[in-house]
Amino acid sequence: MRARQAIALLALAGAFVALYLTLYKVGVIGQLTCSVGECEVVNTSRWSLFLRMPVAAWGLATYVILLALALTGLSERWSASVEVSRAITALAAWSVCFSAYLTYIELFVLHAVCVWCATSAAIMTLILVAAVIDLRATRAAAEVARG
Amino acid sequence: MGAGKGSGSRVVKKKNAAQSRGFYVLLVLVLVAGGVWIGAKATQGTAPAIRETDVTPGPAQGYQLGDPKAPVQVIEFADFECPACGQFSTVTEPDVRARLIQTGKVSYRFFDFPLAQHRNTYVASLAAACANDQGKFWPMHDALYLNQPEWSTEATRDPLKYFLKYAQQLGLDQTAFKQCVTEQRHLPTILGNKKEGEKVGVQSTPTFVIGKKVIAGAISYDEFRAQVDSAAAAAAAPPAPAAKKKS
Repeated sequence: MRARQAIALLALAGAFVALYLTLYKVGVIGQLTCSVGECEVVNTSRWSLFLRMPVAAWGLATYVILLALALTGLSERWSASVEVSRAITALAAWSVCFSAYLTYIELFVLHAVCVWCATSAAIMTLILVAAVIDLRATRAAAEVARG
Repeated sequence: MGAGKGSGSRVVKKKNAAQSRGFYVLLVLVLVAGGVWIGAKATQGTAPAIRETDVTPGPAQGYQLGDPKAPVQVIEFADFECPACGQFSTVTEPDVRARLIQTGKVSYRFFDFPLAQHRNTYVASLAAACANDQGKFWPMHDALYLNQPEWSTEATRDPLKYFLKYAQQLGLDQTAFKQCVTEQRHLPTILGNKKEGEKVGVQSTPTFVIGKKVIAGAISYDEFRAQVDSAAAAAAAPPAPAAKKKS
């Protein structure tokens, strides 16, 4: 339960970071506050779009889904659900891989680092760690229940 | 035993309920803090936004520097509010001007490529275009980039007051300049310049077209020079002989 609570909190924080970058990308926020790195170089590059949508918007959608899954998993009905844990782990694992690809682009292609993107990547990694802990716990509990 | 089990389970339930309450309180706190933060960020820069769709782009013009007949033609597509463009303009461009443009090796042309996420950039492009009416595009261009941090969206909602200050420092007719900017006289040309960049495939700023090559990013002087030399060599190379016709 604690792991799912941590996932929900992290996903909410990540959603705000992704929302900030999305609002910048669509022109609602004028300039990124970026005390470290070169956020604008990264967020105006061609890698800031994926399937014609801002990467940040994909991130926002992912965080919202993770938040919804974690909150669902906290309800009494789904608290022992291994499926919920699997879904969270799969989504987090895919997102960590995508974040790693984007970080590679930042470091080795653009030679610019976006501190907000790095923050999002760190949050997603923590979510994956919590998701793996949760998956192990629910699997163990399911095995105990089966006898 | 049964009573003991029951009270134990009650204790566990109470503990879980308290933990659950704590979690939801924390969740609401994160939600409120995040909402306040995003709200503050979204209202920080509210300079007059210009809707590109409201204006029909005019013909692209650009702003010329150096001999238009120089052997290598260079075009820059840039956004006045983009930090990388500011970096290029203040760090690299002085060398480009002194060693390549003023020596007649390069013909340089600047095209606006305002990015939607920079609210003050259109006003900056208008200020530069209006300074051009009075023959001072390049001094205004330099002033805009040099002072970018003070008039950027992050810093102010009223960039025009800074542009009026630069206009005064450059000795422009301030009344004519202000009228030109506020009535957005050159907006169609600015959008035309941006359209020109879109045709070339510009996706980020600054982007340079050096000879026939499109190069994105605030490149160093050495890289710029290498590209110019390569374009000059390509231009000087004799054309490939045409294939002989069989008799």
